[in-house]
Amino acid sequence: MFFIISSILFFSIFQTCLSSEINLYTTRHYEADYEIYKKFRNKTGIKVNVVSGKSKPLEKRIIEEGKGCKGDLFFLADAGRLYSAEKKNLFQKIKSPLLNKKIPSHLRNDYWYGITKRARIVFYNPENVDFEKVKNLDYEDLGDKEWKNSIAIRQSNNVYNQSLVASLIHNLGEKKTSEWLENFVNNFYEAPSGNDRAQILAVAAGEAKLAIANTYYYALMLSGKKGKSQQEAAKRVKPLFPNKNNRGSHINISGIGILKYSPNKINAIKFLEFLVSEEAQTHLSTNSFEYPVVENINIPQILKLISKEFKEDKLTPVEIYGKLQTKSFNLMIEKKWN
Amino acid sequence: MFKTYYNSRENWLIFLLVLAISTIAITPLFSIIISLLKTLFLSSFSGDNILFVYIKNSFSILFFVTILTIVFGIIPSFLISFFSFWGVNFFKYALILSLAIPPYIYGYSLSSFFENYGTAFSLLKNFFPTIDNDIIPNLSPKTMAIVSLSFSLFGYIYLLSMTTFNNQLSNYIEMSRSLGISKFNTVSKVIFPLSRPAIFIGISLVAMETLSDFGTVSFFGISTLTTGIYNSWFIFDDIETSNLLSLVLLVFILCLFYIENKFQKKKKFHDSVTKSNQIKPKTLKGFYNLLAFFICFIIFFISFVFPVLQMIYWSIKYSNYFNNLNLLALNLNTLFLITTTSTILLSFSFFSNFGNRLLKNNFLTILSNLSISGYAIPGILISIAVITIFSTISNFFNIELKSILIGSFIGLIFGYFFRFYSIAFNGIKSNYLKINSQIDESGYILGLSKVKIFFKIHFPILKENTFFIFILISLEIIKELPITLILRPFNFETFSTKAFEYASQDLIEAAALPSLFLVLWTTILILFSSKYFLKK
Repeated sequence: MFFIISSILFFSIFQTCLSSEINLYTTRHYEADYEIYKKFRNKTGIKVNVVSGKSKPLEKRIIEEGKGCKGDLFFLADAGRLYSAEKKNLFQKIKSPLLNKKIPSHLRNDYWYGITKRARIVFYNPENVDFEKVKNLDYEDLGDKEWKNSIAIRQSNNVYNQSLVASLIHNLGEKKTSEWLENFVNNFYEAPSGNDRAQILAVAAGEAKLAIANTYYYALMLSGKKGKSQQEAAKRVKPLFPNKNNRGSHINISGIGILKYSPNKINAIKFLEFLVSEEAQTHLSTNSFEYPVVENINIPQILKLISKEFKEDKLTPVEIYGKLQTKSFNLMIEKKWN
Repeated sequence: MFKTYYNSRENWLIFLLVLAISTIAITPLFSIIISLLKTLFLSSFSGDNILFVYIKNSFSILFFVTILTIVFGIIPSFLISFFSFWGVNFFKYALILSLAIPPYIYGYSLSSFFENYGTAFSLLKNFFPTIDNDIIPNLSPKTMAIVSLSFSLFGYIYLLSMTTFNNQLSNYIEMSRSLGISKFNTVSKVIFPLSRPAIFIGISLVAMETLSDFGTVSFFGISTLTTGIYNSWFIFDDIETSNLLSLVLLVFILCLFYIENKFQKKKKFHDSVTKSNQIKPKTLKGFYNLLAFFICFIIFFISFVFPVLQMIYWSIKYSNYFNNLNLLALNLNTLFLITTTSTILLSFSFFSNFGNRLLKNNFLTILSNLSISGYAIPGILISIAVITIFSTISNFFNIELKSILIGSFIGLIFGYFFRFYSIAFNGIKSNYLKINSQIDESGYILGLSKVKIFFKIHFPILKENTFFIFILISLEIIKELPITLILRPFNFETFSTKAFEYASQDLIEAAALPSLFLVLWTTILILFSSKYFLKK
């Protein structure tokens, strides 16, 4: 008994005393991320220790740890979540000319930096939908009567949907967004359920005409990583980048910030700078099918093929997703988006 | 001599230690209640109808899961106990294996099987290349959640009804037969009324698990009380609503807990009434033999073989994910967690049970009974409570304990301790009750010290069942997700966290391998102890 307790104590203390390492909290669960940590270690000798989990429990853990915080970095998979952590004073400001130079200003602020981005776009099945009819589609058009009972999208508790609606509130105002939502929800082909991939598959199966989903889910299926049947199903579906004649398609980011009481700040900055290196950006994009935030990075062939028409919304700063998150969710619930 | 037996200084020490153990085990309950009270007094929560939606969904799921688990649990246990048919001895043990599969892992298999262009479609396509996806039925997420929970939880009801059917009813049944009561009336008027307490315990266990389930309902995206706790906290940053929902959930679960305890006592009464010979099962022939076999086979197949086959299929098809898993570390982590946690839990429970027996102090007994409430508190709440408690203690005494306690093995094991103390405590308690207290006094008269009474008299008797309790604790720890996810140290993975990670990035195929290992562990543990499961 004594042995057990003392060995646990020893391990816990031993762990905190090791030097030349950084501690990372992350809500991203990609295998590619773990490979990045290894690459970073090989390059710099700095080990990346990881705890992954859901954003709020991790937030709670960081808050309660306070000054005793062991963590250096917090990596989050949505701009709204980054904003939430920032508002709770979890991050510290950092100065890195390199990061500021490489990452476009609408994808960062003083406290956190976008590392990868994804677009939330529309998918259609050319067998059921005439391309001419949709080639100039905007998100705003998805409320039109012609799409009655034909749109597949996941539930309102999904943070990507909240961010999409937040960007509409920012661009159209609350009143117009609310009217749009009313019609949009009426156009659902059935009560939302399942993940993004399920929405795309519903279009492939002809159950719905249009699906709204993140780009990397589609790329994942096309790549064959989800099996042959899904690859064939995905080939039946085409991507459509909305609002290409005006502000551009809605994007979101995974971003990272340095924690306020980070014990290894210098190493943490090194890690951030590594994340925007060509090596890391290429690796992330190749394996998770997200878009790099840094310009002129080679993206995988599949992503290239589907992104020919991609025009990114650079006018909407991603941090407003966080600011408007509660408002957008309330509106969605009010309009009975389950 | 007896005076010293009841009033020594040692007793004070024992009293204080038992008090300490029980108090530690209750702290999360208090921590949650205090934070709730704060919320209720400080905030002006407007009773939204979203709360109503959460409760409605939780209870409709609960309703269907209860009915299905009763059907899946009682029918096979009835058949196996009273009839003899093909494979009866196999099914007797095989049906317990459903408990090896956590509901969320069942959910992964189920949803990928039935999704558009999913496993069912791929399999059929191999045989009928021209097949269309339309042929695969579209199950709603709620249906799938209900099915997943039912098939992974019916084992509780199966086990409990098995034990009553086998051990206690034979005399009554013989009597009823000799009085010429019809078969149907024997079942409806004798068997079921008498087995009701055990079945109710099973139902309340199922209900507790269903209400506090988070993994399954969140995977299927259903708004229930547990996902509501998460949503209100995640989306609105609204700890108040989150706490209010926790309170609602806690009240329901504690009610079930109370019911369970009540029936547990009733069951004991029944247990003590009869001890009789096994009734000779009736041999089924022809169609009925086939039917009984078929019913058991279907339940066994859907509950265990189906998810395991699905996982094996993926693990072979996507064998490249093998390389990403550090299997040695994961297995060692599992071993480390189950051995340390159960050693601590068992020693503490031994001690507090021994103390309670020795001191017969009412206050301590009540406290001990409260201290097992941790099992009724959902894992998410426990983990948040652990973080809050440690941070409060650290701030209060102004010592830097946080880095040792939060995000360390100590914190993690504390979390498990709160959640699973009841299994250890109750397990030992129920066996302690079987040891006549006069034995202690005889030992004392013979000049044995308290320590010796424990080691020479109690421990040898309790030893055998301790192994079973160890298995029960281990099963829970291996399957546990939220506490491990939130409280674990850096770079520490278990099979359940790994499976969760893959599943949350939509790589269920990759989640198959860690899930399979998880199920392998639980299956081996269950098989090792199957005889205890049916004896208990």
